[in-house]
Amino acid sequence: MVALVVGCLCPLTGTLLLLQRRLFLANLVSHAVLPGLALALALQLDPGVGGVVSGVAGALLAERFSRADRPGEGGDEAVLNTVLAGFLGLGVLLIPLLGLRVDLEAVLFGDLLAATGFDLLRGLLSLGAMLLLVGLRYRQYVYLGVDPLGAASAGLPVRRLRLLLTLVTACTVVSAMTAVGVVLVIGLMAAPALLALAGASSLRQALWRAALVGIALSGFGFWLAIQPSVNLPPGPLIGVLCLVLLPLGPLLHRDR
Amino acid sequence: MSSPAAGVVSLEVSQIRVRRGDRLALDQVSFSLPPGSFTALVGPNGAGKSTLLQALEGQLSLAGGSIQLHGQALTPALAREHLALMPQRGEIAWSFPITVSELVGLGRLSSKRPGCCDVEAALQRVGLAGLGGRRLDQLSGGQQQRALLARTLVQSAQILLLDEPFAAIDPPSRQELLRVMGQLRDAGMTLLVSSHDWGRDLDAYDRVLVLDRELLADGTPQEVRHALGDLRVGNHCCG
Repeated sequence: MVALVVGCLCPLTGTLLLLQRRLFLANLVSHAVLPGLALALALQLDPGVGGVVSGVAGALLAERFSRADRPGEGGDEAVLNTVLAGFLGLGVLLIPLLGLRVDLEAVLFGDLLAATGFDLLRGLLSLGAMLLLVGLRYRQYVYLGVDPLGAASAGLPVRRLRLLLTLVTACTVVSAMTAVGVVLVIGLMAAPALLALAGASSLRQALWRAALVGIALSGFGFWLAIQPSVNLPPGPLIGVLCLVLLPLGPLLHRDR
Repeated sequence: MSSPAAGVVSLEVSQIRVRRGDRLALDQVSFSLPPGSFTALVGPNGAGKSTLLQALEGQLSLAGGSIQLHGQALTPALAREHLALMPQRGEIAWSFPITVSELVGLGRLSSKRPGCCDVEAALQRVGLAGLGGRRLDQLSGGQQQRALLARTLVQSAQILLLDEPFAAIDPPSRQELLRVMGQLRDAGMTLLVSSHDWGRDLDAYDRVLVLDRELLADGTPQEVRHALGDLRVGNHCCG
C-alpha cells in the first residue's frame, strides 16, 4: 500500500516541478533532508518532521543564493550542488557525532519491506497536501509554468506558490523514504512525468497520467522484488524500472 | 479605480532613469502615448526596450523621473488595471501542456474587470477562431504570437505593450500580426511595440521611438529615418 501511495504522490510532485522548471529542487531536497532526519532522531522526534524542516531549509538556502527570476539556470547549478553536498555531508557527519544507530542504506535507498502504518499515514497526508495544492492553485501553477514573468506581473503570489511547492516536495521526499529512499525518489518523480507529458493537452491530464504510470511502476516494482525467484530490494529495483521508461517518452511523443 | 473618460487613458513618461545592477539601462527617457496611438519602439540589443516596457508595466522601480497614467502616478495596481504586457517569445514555455483557450483564459487572472475576459471573442479578434482546443505547441510561430496577443486582450487593458512580437516569425505571419494590431488601434486601443525591425514594416506605425538607453528620436517613420540619417546611427541602431 505504501508503494502505491508513494507511486502516486512522487509523479504528481515531479510533474508539477518539471513544468515549473524546478525539478532540480527535488534532487536538492532529497539530499537536504538528511541532517533533519538525524537531528530529529537524536531529539526523539518524528524523523519525517525533521526531514521536512531540513529539506525546506536547504531549498530556501539555495534560492537565497540563486537568481530569483531564473531558478536553476547558469551559476545556480553550482549553488544548488554546493548546498546539496553540504547538507548530505552534514547529515552523514551528524550520525556518528550524535551517536545515532541509523541504517543509512535504508534511508538513502529505501526499505519497503519494513514499512509501517505510520509510513502509510505520512504518505497519505502528503498526498492530501499535494492534491489540495493542485486543487486550490491549479491555474496559478499553470500560469507560473507557462509564463513565470507574466505570472509575477499579473500579481500572482509567486514566492508563496514556490514556497508551498517546496514544502510539498519535502513532504513527498520524506514520505518516499521507506519505499525508495531519499536518493532514489528523484527517479520516481521524473520518469513517470516524462511519459505523462508526451502529448498531454493540459497540466491536469499530465498529472493524472503521471500518477497512473507511477502507481503501475511502483506496484509492479514491489511485486517483482518480492518474487522468490527475484528477491531484490524494491527501492533500487523501482529505480532501475524508471530507467526502462526513459525511451518510451520520446517514442510516444513521436507517435502523436 | 475607474477611468476618468470611458476607457480613454494616456501615458506620460518624464525623464525616467532605470538601473539594472550598476548599469544605467534607461537615462532621461521622456515621451507620451496618446490614446489610440500605434507606436514602434526600436533600438539595438541591450538598448533598454524590454526594460522600458517592464518599467511602464510597473515591474521596475525608477531611479529617477516619473510615469503618469492619465495624470496619476503609475503604481503596479494601476498598471495591472490599464496596461497589459505581451512578453517576448523566449519567456514562454511553449511545450507546456496547455490548449490555446486555456492560455488565453489565463489573462483573466490579471483582470478584475466585470464583463471582460471573453476568450472566444479575443481569439476571433486575432484570427484564431476555432483553434481554441488546439495544444499550444501545435500552432505555428505566428499563431502562437497571436495567441499571446489574445491573452493580452483578455486582460481588457487600454494600453498594450508588446515586447518583440515579430521575433522568429515568417514575413506572412508578421504581416498578419501587423494587420491585427492595426485593427486594435482602429478600435481605440493604444499599442507600444518593441522591435528590431528597421524595414518597410515601420511605415505601418503612426509613430516611432528610437531608444539606445536614451531616446534618440521620436516622430513619424519618415521623420525618424531622416533624423537617424543625420545622426549617422541608422546602421548602428537598427540595421
